[in-house]
Amino acid sequence: MGIEISRLRRQFGSFIALDDVSLDIADGEFVAVLGPSGSGKTSLLRILAGLDQPDLGSVQRDGQDLLALDARRRGVGLVFQHYALFPHMTVAQNVAFGLRVRPWRLRPKASAIKASVEALLHRVELDAFASRYPAQLSGGQRQRVALARALAIEPRLLLLDEPFGALDAQVRVNLRRWLREFHRSLGITTLFVTHDQDEALEMADRVVVMNRGRIEQIGTPEQIYHQPATAFVSRFIARGQPLPGEVAGSSLHVLGHAWQLDGFSSTDIHTVAVHVRPEHIVPATRHGEGLAACLLSLRHVAGTVRAGLQVEGMDEPLEAEWSERDWSRHSVGVGEPIDVHFQSLSVFGMDREGRVRARTDCHPPYSASPIAIGPWRRLGA
Amino acid sequence: MAAVAAVVSIGGRPSWSVRGARIALVVAAVTVLAWLLVLPLLAIFAEAFRQGVAFFLDAIRQPDTLAAVRLTLTVAAIAVPVNLVFGLAAAWAMTHFHFRGKALLGALIDLPFSVSPVVAGMMLILVFGKYGWFGSWLEAHGWQVIFALPGLVLATVFVTLPFVARELIPLMQAQGSEQEEAALTLGANGWQIFFRVTLPRVRWALLYGVLLCNARAMGEFGAVYVVSGHLRGLTNTLPLQVDQLYEENFSAAFAVASLLALLTLVTLGVKRVLEWRHGEVLHADH
Repeated sequence: MGIEISRLRRQFGSFIALDDVSLDIADGEFVAVLGPSGSGKTSLLRILAGLDQPDLGSVQRDGQDLLALDARRRGVGLVFQHYALFPHMTVAQNVAFGLRVRPWRLRPKASAIKASVEALLHRVELDAFASRYPAQLSGGQRQRVALARALAIEPRLLLLDEPFGALDAQVRVNLRRWLREFHRSLGITTLFVTHDQDEALEMADRVVVMNRGRIEQIGTPEQIYHQPATAFVSRFIARGQPLPGEVAGSSLHVLGHAWQLDGFSSTDIHTVAVHVRPEHIVPATRHGEGLAACLLSLRHVAGTVRAGLQVEGMDEPLEAEWSERDWSRHSVGVGEPIDVHFQSLSVFGMDREGRVRARTDCHPPYSASPIAIGPWRRLGA
Repeated sequence: MAAVAAVVSIGGRPSWSVRGARIALVVAAVTVLAWLLVLPLLAIFAEAFRQGVAFFLDAIRQPDTLAAVRLTLTVAAIAVPVNLVFGLAAAWAMTHFHFRGKALLGALIDLPFSVSPVVAGMMLILVFGKYGWFGSWLEAHGWQVIFALPGLVLATVFVTLPFVARELIPLMQAQGSEQEEAALTLGANGWQIFFRVTLPRVRWALLYGVLLCNARAMGEFGAVYVVSGHLRGLTNTLPLQVDQLYEENFSAAFAVASLLALLTLVTLGVKRVLEWRHGEVLHADH
């Protein structure tokens, strides 16, 4: 059962925030909605929380129309990006708010409220902070208070808006792990919105990639990463870089090379996008094997080497990413020529409306021996 | 201009010329304030007590003066709560909803600031006066608005309309509505959201606005002058009483005026304490 979102549309003036958005969420699932700002992910969240109404479409929970329920009766816990804690209340009062404002018939006794607040604060590891005010807490602590406050009403759906957006990097990584564990122990259906692909891929059971109000792809983190459905997903998630290329018959032409292309039907195709990922651009083991390029820059970041490459015949530089170990067998300096080879290319064929009609991966054949011998230096340069 | 820019922009140890400019500006400002504000205020109290404390008390204990004090307090006690409610409602509407004519509402709230109080009084006479639009209807029903308490209250409400709303709107705009939305998703109803979330966040700004509103309500002269009719002991508020006494009994006028001046000082003092203790929540968002 779970939640069935179907064909949501929301328009603000001429800006289309949500365009025909459909999504099913299973009970207990942890789903990330990933997209750049303005992609409609926050609009979706606000509609689910009852803070906004769609122009078209429906949302059902276990067969019940969720949109017909007022925000205060929806049983949806929402954690805001900037927490939206009540500054004039202590941590305990913040957490108790959802229970205290219930109609008296449904309101637990003061002692019961106190007990559940204590239990919640224990869960989020803030026992000692019950009588502090939000201003006296760190960002990560405030985030957990907001979470406890949302959980106090025992919501059937938990929504998190950019849960780590306002935190610094170290706290973010710790809290990410903590929240994943927390969800596992709680089992509550959770939807979180983020623009950070690492966050989405690391935490979620399923990832929904959104762009310009539309869902580009829904899938597990592996699917999203290894089989991006659209050129946008390829660029946004897998850092796919566009190459000038075209398809003629069953062959792909890129920068003067032609490779066999399988499983790509070119009917109805208006434009073709060819992408290569940084890790799929590798240094060729012998001179003359690949494409001629110039090494523009070299940066060492946490065990990897990021290289800027100017490939002959291209206007824009490409970024390549190699492991330190692989790169240590080469001795090309910045400004020197280097030959590179594309291990894998993603090819997307779009129709006139920009919808993807065909996609495939192309693995250009490469004759070099699998064992590279180094140190290597291009000769005759 | 150059001197001002230098004082503002240079950090650390200022040069001699900058220090000179700073001293000159401070001296100029203090001199102007002393001549225009502090000295006149002191003069009022000096004049009020010139013929002794007994005279001062006698002047204040006059029945007409006591009636004026009562009337002023009554008018303020009606006008201030009315504007408190109006200010809260207008600020809430301006900051939480999008609607047609929002800009017009904003301009209307500011109208009393830009209209001369005398004109405000004249408008009331045009509408409610004996020969005004509703004059004959009101008279037929036995209600007197002009030259009576209702007219004084209307004039005062009109003149003090912007104070509370103008204090709240920027603050509520800066705070946004996220906390109200959070309260809503937690199951709170409209009144609970207002009393438990919104009001506590704006309470100091609200008090500040009420204070300014009250000071103006008690001190208003122009609009009230037009609609009052100056019936001594009946429709004279304190400022009008001062004006009439001034024609007849110079020292008594100053004794009564010193009451109004005292109100100013108390308002200033409370305002200062508020700013000192709650400065951040008065103006900045949290």
